[in-house]
Amino acid sequence: MSEPRARRAAVTGIGVIAPNGTSTETFWKSTQEGVSVLDRITREGCEHLPLRVAGEVRDFEPADAVEERFLVQTDRFTHFAMAAADLALEDARLGRADTGEEPFSVGVVTAAGSGGGEFGQRELQQLWGKGSRFVGPYQSIAWFYAASTGQISIRRGFKGPCSVVAADEAGGLDALAHAARAVRRGTDLIVAGSTEAPLAPYSMVCQLGYEELSTVEDPAHAYRPFTDGACGFVPAEGGAMVVVEEEYSARERDVRVRAYLAGHAATFTGASRWDRSGEGLAQAIRAALDEAGCAPEEIDVVFADALGVPEADRAEALAIADALGSHGKRVPVTAPKTGTGRGYCAAPVLDAAAAVLAMEHGLIPPTPNVFDVCHDLDVVTVRARAAELRTALVLSRGLMGSNSALVLRHGAVDAS
Amino acid sequence: MSDRITLEELAELMKKAAGVTVSPQQLQEQYDAGFDTLGIDSLGLLGIVGELENRYSTPMPPDAERSKTPRQFLDLVNSAFLAGA
Repeated sequence: MSEPRARRAAVTGIGVIAPNGTSTETFWKSTQEGVSVLDRITREGCEHLPLRVAGEVRDFEPADAVEERFLVQTDRFTHFAMAAADLALEDARLGRADTGEEPFSVGVVTAAGSGGGEFGQRELQQLWGKGSRFVGPYQSIAWFYAASTGQISIRRGFKGPCSVVAADEAGGLDALAHAARAVRRGTDLIVAGSTEAPLAPYSMVCQLGYEELSTVEDPAHAYRPFTDGACGFVPAEGGAMVVVEEEYSARERDVRVRAYLAGHAATFTGASRWDRSGEGLAQAIRAALDEAGCAPEEIDVVFADALGVPEADRAEALAIADALGSHGKRVPVTAPKTGTGRGYCAAPVLDAAAAVLAMEHGLIPPTPNVFDVCHDLDVVTVRARAAELRTALVLSRGLMGSNSALVLRHGAVDAS
Repeated sequence: MSDRITLEELAELMKKAAGVTVSPQQLQEQYDAGFDTLGIDSLGLLGIVGELENRYSTPMPPDAERSKTPRQFLDLVNSAFLAGA
């Protein structure tokens, strides 16, 4: 009896709704050009708050992307998720007819950091302003972390394994890893990723307690990790969804394998314990490399977490040096999120999308607003750098102490 | 207040509470179709009931939110209206 072939998790579709682009093409164009779209927050009811700068998604009209009956029962974070899922599925050439034949072979995994704050605020204002009878029933589901997974699966008729990862910002990478595991276990397709909408009054007030948050008013100076000017991070909304598909399912459909989800690991080192996050991140990198069967020297680019807090930046630089050895000083490091802001769980998923696009284009996007790096890292600044990229490492840490690493292999590489 | 809920009002509530656009004429044609085929789920119907209760400051019969079709729903809420009038 022959050995059953190993099932491999491939990325076959990418859908992006980001501050710097509401399609994968515009996102990549802005990302590789190093455009920063950080700007003063314009959202109603937020003007008086001490958080001034963020990455807003301004070029997105929910009604153009999603049916009204799904819009009325969901928060903005789920509007982004449904729209991004559609884009990813379209990119993977999966129409409703394709997935409708075998609905149990398609699942959904999302990660969420805060759920539907804007919807929740509106309904709670009804509760305290008018009374409990004026709270709409969709409040019961719309602000829930799980809302995006549920609504994507209902709207597209997916009946395969569905789940939600609530694991801090790094949960965005964990969701991709969870999808990869589901594919290896037997599901053909998982729509996976994260979108967030933390730029509404209630949600913003919740963030004001984070000492890592940047309250700098100048967009060009508000988020500058790895420099002496590091002053915290800038939040963002939007995110990305990807189609994770079993390699042979993709080949049978004659769809391009854009990348492989080759290895992942996660560790936990405690909330805001940035001194200890380095050790945890290094261990996550080592374990992810191990799962991917990847030597440190094979890593061609690192998409850094880049929190922008001096102690956290130092810990990340040390983690890269620790886990990659001497290669850690040579490998190009980038953090395109300095141009868009940090969308909590969505941030590392956007980084993973950018990593796939970078490998496809042989181009490492730069780190906007960062020029004067004060760590022993080769940070790509100012303009994109051409390079042959076969393997990318994406790093993420959460404010509550989670650390994750994901190894992506270029689709053209046959690592088997 | 009017003495009964009309198809027009139900159509307006379906739009407001559940985001489903349907004309009174279509609703007439689909009078015995399931709410599910019209795109109204159980929470959507619950929202319509809540909206009616707030609008007319009167409780609806407890079974109203379990109605399967527009006909069932209107018969039930209107019988309650007539009883209360």
